[in-house]
Amino acid sequence: MEVNYDNQIVRWYVKSAILWGVVAMLIGIWIAFEMVFPVLNFNSPYLSFGRLRPIHTNGIIFGFTLSIVFATVFYAVPRLFKTPMWSPLLSRLQFWLYNLTIVLAAVTLALGYTQSKEYAELEWPLDILVVIWWVIFAVNFFMTMAKRQEKHIYVAVWFFIATIVTIAVLYIVNNIALPSGLLKSYSVYSGVTDANIQWWYGHNAVAFVLTTPILGMMYYYLPKHTNLPIFSHRLSILHFWSLIFIYIWAGPHHLLYSPVPEWAQTLGMVFSLALIAPSWGGMLNGFLTLSQAKEKVRTDATLKFMLVALTFYGMSTLEGPIMSIRAVNSLSHNTDWTIGHVHGGALGWVAGMAIAAIYYLVPRLWNAKLYSEKLAETHFWIATLGILLYYVSMWASGITEGLMWRAYDASGMLQYPNWIEIVQNLTPFRFVRAIGGTLFLTGFCIMIYNVYKTIQNKGSGFVPTDLREGA
Amino acid sequence: MENQKNFYEKLNEKVESKGFAFTVLVTVAILIGTLVELPPFFLTKQVEPIESVKPYNALELAGRDVYQKEGCFNCHTQMIRPFKWETDRFDPNKAYGPDPYSKAGEYVYDHPFLWGSKRTGPDLAHEASIRPSAAWHKKHLINPRETSPGSIMPAYPWLFENELDIEQTKANMRALRALGVPYTDEDIAAADKLLKGKTEGDAVIAYLLKLGRDTMVQEEE
Ligand code: HEM
Ligand code: HEM
Repeated sequence: MEVNYDNQIVRWYVKSAILWGVVAMLIGIWIAFEMVFPVLNFNSPYLSFGRLRPIHTNGIIFGFTLSIVFATVFYAVPRLFKTPMWSPLLSRLQFWLYNLTIVLAAVTLALGYTQSKEYAELEWPLDILVVIWWVIFAVNFFMTMAKRQEKHIYVAVWFFIATIVTIAVLYIVNNIALPSGLLKSYSVYSGVTDANIQWWYGHNAVAFVLTTPILGMMYYYLPKHTNLPIFSHRLSILHFWSLIFIYIWAGPHHLLYSPVPEWAQTLGMVFSLALIAPSWGGMLNGFLTLSQAKEKVRTDATLKFMLVALTFYGMSTLEGPIMSIRAVNSLSHNTDWTIGHVHGGALGWVAGMAIAAIYYLVPRLWNAKLYSEKLAETHFWIATLGILLYYVSMWASGITEGLMWRAYDASGMLQYPNWIEIVQNLTPFRFVRAIGGTLFLTGFCIMIYNVYKTIQNKGSGFVPTDLREGA
Repeated sequence: MENQKNFYEKLNEKVESKGFAFTVLVTVAILIGTLVELPPFFLTKQVEPIESVKPYNALELAGRDVYQKEGCFNCHTQMIRPFKWETDRFDPNKAYGPDPYSKAGEYVYDHPFLWGSKRTGPDLAHEASIRPSAAWHKKHLINPRETSPGSIMPAYPWLFENELDIEQTKANMRALRALGVPYTDEDIAAADKLLKGKTEGDAVIAYLLKLGRDTMVQEEE
């Protein structure tokens, strides 16, 4: 039975992931250097750190990450259901509305229109636009599901379902605001209530944009790429349900020692600690999948990126719960340590899996062998070095910062009462971070060249190689 | 393995081939935590009010809007935790009584809250007490390195060129009133006088000098 799959939409999303990836990372590098050389703000509102930072975060989360998630959904879901997407027209409408939103987001944020809630900065007209294309996406997805030829719903799809449902709930509840102008509104919530809802949202944006769909990607690409079945279906079930159930509770770990009521903080901390189990369940299911090969599995760059992604997923989901312990959070909160934690997850796990997806998809979508496996290897090593520099420098910076804030001298006075003195101590670390980010983007650009050369050979034929030696 | 399936596996098997049921179960799973953690904030009293805390006047509110617009919260927190090292640093004048950390009642008019998550620059919740000088703030905003050599904060010279939009501020106050901030008609009408001829920079400074002002303990000489 031949099904005609719509590969064009997937090609579009791969390109939009690459585009937004470059833009958002360039801005990330720029703001990283601004924290070392403030002249880079150029006394201009449009280059000012406070306006650029949300463009970095929105661009990378909603531009880069969502693009590759959509690419995967539109590639994998029809194949898993043995059914083309219900409406190619809706697929395209979503693509254009979505990209329009990202463009408008960048423009409005640069102009200073913001709700100023982290990862929910976009003003109300854009929120409405987001809801529209999310609903279009959901309708297209669920109609495809209703018409599917393959009854069984594979694990990867569970994670996509969780993403679609939960993001809708989170996004709408957190963004309820009263407009007072075309691009100005006020959150209907105030103070501690607003804080509680914002971090219920914020933490679960991490969970349902930067974690569950990426796990869905892992569950699709890893077995496909290695020709090995997922290690344990039982583990999949257990960790899927416990992950989505527990994640939702953990938001208040962003609000420890704040005026948010004690009971909420305690729930946040306890559920964050519990999150280690389902998180590591997913990671182990990935790693153990490889262990099933009786033959040795050859690691190409694509697989290496997946393994690095899993490693950093393990890292940040161990680190996160540790940072949720109140005593640890008293040191890490508000410091560069948090930024290190973010980017371990972001560069290692999210971007790592996204890059693996791009290497997996491009040869298949353009029907041509990857131009250079060697360049892909080079990309891998440069990227890994970049991540390590970023992560390690931010640990050093964050812990230094946290310790200097709380240091007392022998006479019982704050040892560093002068804020600038502390800031200047952090500059070398922040410089290393900026270099790490630059390396990461350099690797990404090598990939773009590789992709470009591959596309030039489009149609020349692609045969997947079996990584299992002797198979 | 097949014959010793646990409860979850059986449950999952039932819904694994039923897309609709699966989706409903997912929704239930994510709503449980939500329904425990969110509604109590609306149904029960979670905030101890502080009588002296008053809403922002028109100029301060306009300043708060500029604070949001420029994204100051990306580097400055507005929430002091109950640690000695934080209260010593952010209450250097001992102006906030025996418990000089942040309390829920201080934020009741903050739509949205602006606590931030990254303290690249110092906390500003008590700025009225720490830096009471408008002239200092103006110099600092125009060129942070003039007042604070070595600072990495961006300069904001344009704030002192841009005028304020009085009508927009009034619309903002009306919106906030609809959300429960107790503005009177006079408060809103006062925008004409308070904002006239003022720049965005003036407004931000007014806002900074409001931060922590209402909760300072009256000094008895
Ligand atoms: C070239 C690579 C990157 C560089 C140089 C970079 C740099 C930065 C910098 C300088 C900040 C602000 C830190 C601060 O305020 O102290 C930041 C924040 C952030 N970045 Fe990146 N970034 C990069 C890639 C990414 C990627 C791939 C992601 C996500 C997939 C990401 C997600 C975030 C998030 C969520 C924040 C906000 C963190 C918070 O509020 O705690 N970044 N980044
Ligand atoms: C078991 C899982 C995890 C737990 C319990 C956890 C916990 C935490 C904690 C305690 C913080 C610091 C909050 C604060 O002090 O302000 C944090 C920040 C953050 N984490 Fe995680 N984390 C986990 C996994 C991840 C993963 C996989 C990512 C993916 C990229 C991630 C992204 C972030 C981001 C973006 C922030 C910064 C939020 C902000 O302040 O703007 N986390 N996390």
